Amino acid sequence: MHRWDFGPVWAHADLLLLGLWHTLQVTGTALAFGVPLGLALALMRLSPRRWLRWPAGLVIEVFRTTPPLVQLFWFFFALPILVRVEMTPFVAAALTFSIQSAAFFAEVFRGGIVSVERGQWEAGRALGMTPRQTLRRVVLPQAVKRMIPAFMERAIELMKTTTLVATVSYADLLFQANEVAQKTFRPLEVFTVAALLYFGVIWGVSLLAQALERRLAVSGEGAAQGGAG
Amino acid sequence: MAYRWNFAPLLDNADVLWVGALGTLRIFAICAVVGLGLGLLVGLARQSANGWLRRPATVFVEFFRNTPVLVQILWFYFALPILLPFDISPLAAAALGISLNSAAFTGEIVRGGIQSIERGQWEAGRALGMTPAQTMRRIVLPQALRRMLPALTNRGIEIFKMSTLASAVAYVELLQQGKLLASLNFNPIETYTVIAVVFFLCLFPLVQATYALERRLGRADS
Repeated sequence: MHRWDFGPVWAHADLLLLGLWHTLQVTGTALAFGVPLGLALALMRLSPRRWLRWPAGLVIEVFRTTPPLVQLFWFFFALPILVRVEMTPFVAAALTFSIQSAAFFAEVFRGGIVSVERGQWEAGRALGMTPRQTLRRVVLPQAVKRMIPAFMERAIELMKTTTLVATVSYADLLFQANEVAQKTFRPLEVFTVAALLYFGVIWGVSLLAQALERRLAVSGEGAAQGGAG
Repeated sequence: MAYRWNFAPLLDNADVLWVGALGTLRIFAICAVVGLGLGLLVGLARQSANGWLRRPATVFVEFFRNTPVLVQILWFYFALPILLPFDISPLAAAALGISLNSAAFTGEIVRGGIQSIERGQWEAGRALGMTPAQTMRRIVLPQALRRMLPALTNRGIEIFKMSTLASAVAYVELLQQGKLLASLNFNPIETYTVIAVVFFLCLFPLVQATYALERRLGRADS
């Protein structure tokens, strides 16, 4: 029977926490670039102009239908040779996950924008707004509210996907766990603690997301009733 | 100076990639069968009136949905053998991680599908003298499965993409063989591009089919 000993894990808690910090950094960077880029891709894909619509569709489909690990390897091992730039694991990871999450966020944005009734666009036009003004002032604010559940789900998926950076030696939580496990010969304890750390953070975020969703659902209902009354 | 693409070394080693492709198909088949099958059971358990079935199923789903699948694979590969009297092969570790992870997500799809069936269907079953188990099997599940189909094919696509994570424990699949070739021939650009294209060509028709299925079911329901 194995005798559990978490001592070596606590002794290296600083390394694991540093790894968690790096995980959050990659996730945050990918969100910071991925969300605006996703909005741009969604608007391009909804554009009446074909030269905007097609490239956006191509980027979205390619990044949604190829495995993220293949994308990461491509950006880390192949791209630096093509463009002759030195690529750090962090830059490769940030680049991959920004574009990849942008592809997914684009579909979330598109779904949100499409879900807003045609009448809202017509109302904007009737008030003398340009399509761009209608989008910004009337449609997007309503779309964003409806998108929040799907958006949170994608953000959580993104955080889980960032564990792939460990395979290109970026020192995220998983990579640090692997290092500590090798150093202490305690893989069972170390990987269990790492899994629990991930669980704690991700579960916390999804509980927050659910609470947010409930609050929005309540206020949305109120608005609908207000509209009917 | 632009990079000069050269696919010759890849064509010479096509057999290496072929071995990898077979490995990818093998782990995909295992995980699709185990993941979706177990997911059906988990979804049913989560709907059960019996707390002894429901609570463990809930813990299982929450745990596997809220941890990264790569962490699960590495846990099964590095940590689990310490608790067991035998070693775990890369295939077993990767298949366990991907299957259990998919089972958790599939369980939620099944639960949602069953919940979407109107109460009246249950009552109709009871009125005909069926037991709840019979009603579930003959009336509710067939209808729920139809509604779940797009979500289930999506899961299948996710499993196919997840199979690349098996390379992290050196299981021989397409990406793993690509890594090998790229380091032997010093041609990561061509190798990883070809692998990305292969995955895209395999999955793109499936993704389009899922969209079409969604549209068809959406029309049929409305």
